[in-house]
Amino acid sequence: MGKDTIVIGLGNPLMCDEGIGITLIEYLTKKQDEHPDVDFIDAGTGGMQLLHYISGRKKAVLIDCAFMGTEPGTIKRFTADEVKSIKKLSHLSLHEVDILKVIELSEQLGEAPDEVVFFGIEPAAVEDGMELSDTLAGKIDDYLQTIDAELGTD
Amino acid sequence: MSNVNINVHHMTRVEGHGNIVVNASDGTVEKVQWQVPEAPRFFEAMVRGRKFDDIQTIVSRICGICSISHSLVAIKAVEDALSIDISEQTDMLRLLMHYSEQLQSHVLHVGYLVAPDLFNAPSVVPLVGKAPEAVKTIIGVHRVANQMSELLAGRITHPITLVPGGFSKVPSEKELRQLQDTLKAQVKPLQTICDVVASVAGNLPNFERDTEYVSLKQDKTYTFYHGDIASTEGTVKPVSEWESVANEYVVDQSTAKWAKWNRETYMVGALARYNNNAEYLSPLGKEVAGMFGLKKGCCNPFMNNIAQLAEAAHVVEHSIELIDKILSKGIEDERPNISPKPGRGYAAVEAPRGILFHAYEFDENFECTWGNMCIPTNQNHANIQKDFEKFVPENLESGEDNLRQGLEMLVRAYDPCISCSTHFLDVEFVR
Repeated sequence: MGKDTIVIGLGNPLMCDEGIGITLIEYLTKKQDEHPDVDFIDAGTGGMQLLHYISGRKKAVLIDCAFMGTEPGTIKRFTADEVKSIKKLSHLSLHEVDILKVIELSEQLGEAPDEVVFFGIEPAAVEDGMELSDTLAGKIDDYLQTIDAELGTD
Repeated sequence: MSNVNINVHHMTRVEGHGNIVVNASDGTVEKVQWQVPEAPRFFEAMVRGRKFDDIQTIVSRICGICSISHSLVAIKAVEDALSIDISEQTDMLRLLMHYSEQLQSHVLHVGYLVAPDLFNAPSVVPLVGKAPEAVKTIIGVHRVANQMSELLAGRITHPITLVPGGFSKVPSEKELRQLQDTLKAQVKPLQTICDVVASVAGNLPNFERDTEYVSLKQDKTYTFYHGDIASTEGTVKPVSEWESVANEYVVDQSTAKWAKWNRETYMVGALARYNNNAEYLSPLGKEVAGMFGLKKGCCNPFMNNIAQLAEAAHVVEHSIELIDKILSKGIEDERPNISPKPGRGYAAVEAPRGILFHAYEFDENFECTWGNMCIPTNQNHANIQKDFEKFVPENLESGEDNLRQGLEMLVRAYDPCISCSTHFLDVEFVR
C-alpha cells in the first residue's frame, strides 16, 4: 500500500521547462528522509496512470508545467475547483490527458484523495532540449521550499 | 445529393494532434485528408553524443504510453550495436515486461478511448454513470497491468531497471509468484470486458479495405518481441534491414513522415500481428477472436480494437506460462558483465500500436554518433489516408455528423500516438 500522501511530478525532460515537475521530483526524492510519510513519483507523461497513483491516498500533490498567463518562473498553488482547463482537448486523450478529468473520474469512482493540490510552474521555454531555462533553473530552491511548506517541513 | 464540410481540428481521444478535412458538394468528394500538424521532434539528434547506457533512459521519454517499448527496442539496438550478449533470464524478464505494456495499453485503449464511442458517450467520465461496473472492471485490469510494469520496470512508466546487458534489479521468486496469481485472477474480468464490448460491437462500422499488414514474425509464436519483419504480401526481411521496410517519405499534408513497403501503404498494430500470426494466439486469445468473428485475413481496420482484446487475453495467458518457465530455471540475481565493441545496431519490437524500429551507432568512446527511429503511427498515416478515401464515398449519404464520427472512430481504431512527448497543463483561474 502507498503512503497517505503522494507527490507526483509530471512532464517531459526532453522538452526543456516541460520537465520541471520531473526535475523537482528528483530533488525531492533525495530528501526522502525528511518526508518519511510521502511517496514521490516521477509519472512522466503517462496521464491516465495518475488514476492509479492517487487512488486511496489522503492527499495528492501534483507538480507540473502550466500555462497560467503569469510571468515565466511563477509557481502557483491551486486546487481543481479553482481552475478550469482551457486545453482544446479535454475528452481524455492520453498524452494530452486533462488531469482535471482524471481527478473527476477518480471522484466518480469514489477513490479520490481527500485533498488534491496542484503546483503549476509557468515555463519560459517549451521546446526540444534537455535543460531547464535559466529562469526556472534559478528558482529550484524556491520551488522546493514551497513544496516543503505544503508537506509540513520548512 | 450531399454537401459535406468536415473540419475536425485536434480530434479527441487520440494521443496528439490530428486533423480531419472532408469537402464534398452535390455528392462529389472534393477533398479528403488526414492531416498531422504536430511539430516534428528531434529525438534522433538528442541522442547524439550521449553514452550508450543513457540511451534507453532518454528515449523512454518519447512516449508516456509506450515508454517500455521505446526502452526495450533502444536497449536491443544498443546491445546489437555494441555486440553485447544477454542471458536467457534477461530475455524472458524483458518479454514479461513487454507484455505488461501490451496489457496496459490495450485495456486503456479499448476501455477508455474506444468504449465511449460504442456506448455513445463523449468520454469515459460520463461512461461511469452509464456502465459503472464495466468501467470499474476495466480500471481493475488496467491497475494490475500497471503493477506488473512496476515490478519489472521499476516503475509504471519510463523504466529504470533496464541496463545494457541485463537488469539493475530483478524481481524475486515470491514477487513473480504473486504476480502470477494476480494475473490468473484477471482472466474472468477480461472475459467480462469482452462480454461488455461484444454487447455493443454491432456499433463497429462494417468497412473493409484490402491492404498490406506488417509485423514481426517468429516461428510458431505470436511474437511481440523476437523474429523478422513480415508482410501479408509474403515478404520477410531481417530486422537489420528495417529502413528498407519503412521507406519513409514526406508529403505536404503531414509533418509526420509516411511509410510504404510492397504496396502504396501498409498497416501495423494488433490487426497486422493477428493477420500474420493468428494461429499462434493462446487458447483464450483465440476464444476472444472467435467471440467477435475475427478471422485471419480480416481487412476491417475497426477490428484492430478486437485484435487488441484478443492480444490482451493472450498476454495474460502467456505471462502466466512465462513466469513458470522463468522460475523453473530458478531466478538468479544477475548483474550485467559486458565488454562492448563500437558499431551500429538495429532492433524492432512490437509496441502496442505496431512495429517500432530503432537504430544507433557508437564510436570507440561508446558515445552515440547516429540514431534513427520509426514509430508505428507514422507507418500507419498513409494507410489511414487511403482508408479515408474509401470510407468517405461509401458513407457520404450517412450525414455529416455520422460521417465525422465514423472518421474519428476510424482514426482511433489505429490507436495512434501522434505526439509522444508533451502534455502541459493549460489553465484559466475561475475564482
